[in-house]
Amino acid sequence: MSADIVLHDITRVFEIRAGAFGDSRLLRAVDGVSVTIPAGTCLGIVGESGCGKSTLARIILGLLPPSSGDVMVDGKRLLDMDRRARARLIQPVFQDPYSSLNPRRRVRDIVGLPLTAQGIGGRGRADRVDEMLARVGLPGTIADRFPAQLSGGQRQRVAIARALVLRPRIVVCDEPTSALDVSVQAQILNLLAELQRDLGLTYVFVSHNLAVVEHICDEVAVMYLGRFVEHAATDDLFRAPTHPYTRALLASVLTPEPGLGVPDVGLGDVPPNPANIPPGCRFHPRCPIAEPACRTTTPDSRRFGSRTVECLLADEAGAGVAGPIAVAATWTE
Amino acid sequence: MRDDVAPLLEVENLRVRFGTQVDAVRGVSLTVRKGETHCLVGESGCGKSVSALAIMGLLTRSAARTADTLRFGGENLIGIKDRALAKLRGDRMAMIFQEPMTSLNPAFTVGSQLAEVLQRHRKATRAQSLERAAELLAKVGISNPGLRLGQFPHQLSGGLRQRVMIAMALMCDPELLIADEPTTALDVTVQAQILRLLLGLQRELGLAILLITHDLGVVARVAHRVSVMYAGEVVESATAPALFAGPTHPYTHGLLACVPVPGQVRRGEPLGSIPGTVPRLAPGLRGCAFRERCAHAVAACADAVPTHYRGPDHPYRCRLSSDWAEARAA
Repeated sequence: MSADIVLHDITRVFEIRAGAFGDSRLLRAVDGVSVTIPAGTCLGIVGESGCGKSTLARIILGLLPPSSGDVMVDGKRLLDMDRRARARLIQPVFQDPYSSLNPRRRVRDIVGLPLTAQGIGGRGRADRVDEMLARVGLPGTIADRFPAQLSGGQRQRVAIARALVLRPRIVVCDEPTSALDVSVQAQILNLLAELQRDLGLTYVFVSHNLAVVEHICDEVAVMYLGRFVEHAATDDLFRAPTHPYTRALLASVLTPEPGLGVPDVGLGDVPPNPANIPPGCRFHPRCPIAEPACRTTTPDSRRFGSRTVECLLADEAGAGVAGPIAVAATWTE
Repeated sequence: MRDDVAPLLEVENLRVRFGTQVDAVRGVSLTVRKGETHCLVGESGCGKSVSALAIMGLLTRSAARTADTLRFGGENLIGIKDRALAKLRGDRMAMIFQEPMTSLNPAFTVGSQLAEVLQRHRKATRAQSLERAAELLAKVGISNPGLRLGQFPHQLSGGLRQRVMIAMALMCDPELLIADEPTTALDVTVQAQILRLLLGLQRELGLAILLITHDLGVVARVAHRVSVMYAGEVVESATAPALFAGPTHPYTHGLLACVPVPGQVRRGEPLGSIPGTVPRLAPGLRGCAFRERCAHAVAACADAVPTHYRGPDHPYRCRLSSDWAEARAA
């Protein structure tokens, strides 16, 4: 059975107040996101902190209702689903395995809790827990330990086992490897990729690290101040990043190649503020190639083949906006 | 590279033990010269931060530090009086930490925290100190420094806070800057800006930088010299071009294979990874600490580990001769 996820014009607004008596202002964390995630694929969502990617992840999980718009899974509205039914369908893996596992519970109980919540107990529960722990590459002896006795990588494996124990079809991973060392990050990424292949899972993979996203995702959406400014198949996005923001993000990734120096991505030092979204193109204050029209005209979503880009300057071929991003001269002499 | 210049910081056989349980640093030797960036790279728990704190004399009292040599700018830091060391710290040697929110005091304005450094070390007046603070905030790329001086840390973004930390470290024109994961908590775009800033300041002021990081991408782009740490030891040390062109210790190899590089990643193929986890650093650990995760380990690795040389300036601690890596690359 397919488990397509369809997001239809999702918006989420928070009210923020400056002090007890201050004026309230509206913060648009997610501002009109529409996307279809086909069953069995992985959509990566990347962007800087504050771009709304985690808010969107919580909306897809059903943990946070959207202010407007709908999330449909299998043609059914997510919000109309029973909580238990939703838990059988969608499960999360969070960033920090140090705070997402109950420190007072043993691994066996942490992984078994979703089953208990569904009314599955006894032998059936114990068998499923053991099977799942083995599936994520943990020795059975770990079942009786507490999270504090585990390493970061082992904890994240426990979190993955807990997410998969109900055999969900969709897993939302919010920065699942950001808190881990590189050698462990690679182990966890390999595990996630293998589980997806074997179990036919659909992933939503939120990360700030473009290199990680490339490894695991079929499609990538680049998010800026609540909107998808570019969305394309992973290979296309990395081969020919089109939106100036995508290009800047890609240029900021420091690859282990000595002698290339640190790039000047030309974004200036004013961080984006979701409580004060600029008019026109929302990226124009930081855009190295902005033109006067960008200040006033809001760009539509333009389609170039399978790629969509929200930039006035994106050209027909979709092959990229003119103007290379400067890379600093070699620093290491 | 720059061998003619006498080292500013010289560390030989640095050891740190916490209580009787943990040998966190087990014989680290390194040097940093004026105008040079020396990167200390390794995974969590390998002892890189503890080494930095030990050099600065900032360890807790429960830690026992020993070293054969610990010299900074000609001064011996072993057995130096606390007051003399406190005078050096923040003045001639400064440190930046990973998390700017927890290293800035939330109850004081940016201006008063910056000014305190100069008032304390140089007996400057508050007005002089604030003037210098404004000058430095502008230098680290903060627009409208006058406004920022009156703000509290929570009113600044992460990137701005880290710039404030850098400005604070530079207040007294230090000769040595120890930066412990200065960009790890930041977005990649901000990370690039902060690193460019540090390199620009280094070029301008001739700063010596000891940069601690787990990110090999950062290392490749900023380091002159690299020391790879594992389980409290430096297992390989070389100039950055030599290390990335010819990684020789199996751990360095493994670490490099784990880093996903955009444009070179194949989906469907597993990333390189290092099996297992870092060992416990109980006292009396003998032989190669990496042997349980190493594909090349033999029984002899449980005994002494020899130091071999890939080049005159490229030592590594492994039983393998330097041609194994070349043979593998071929």
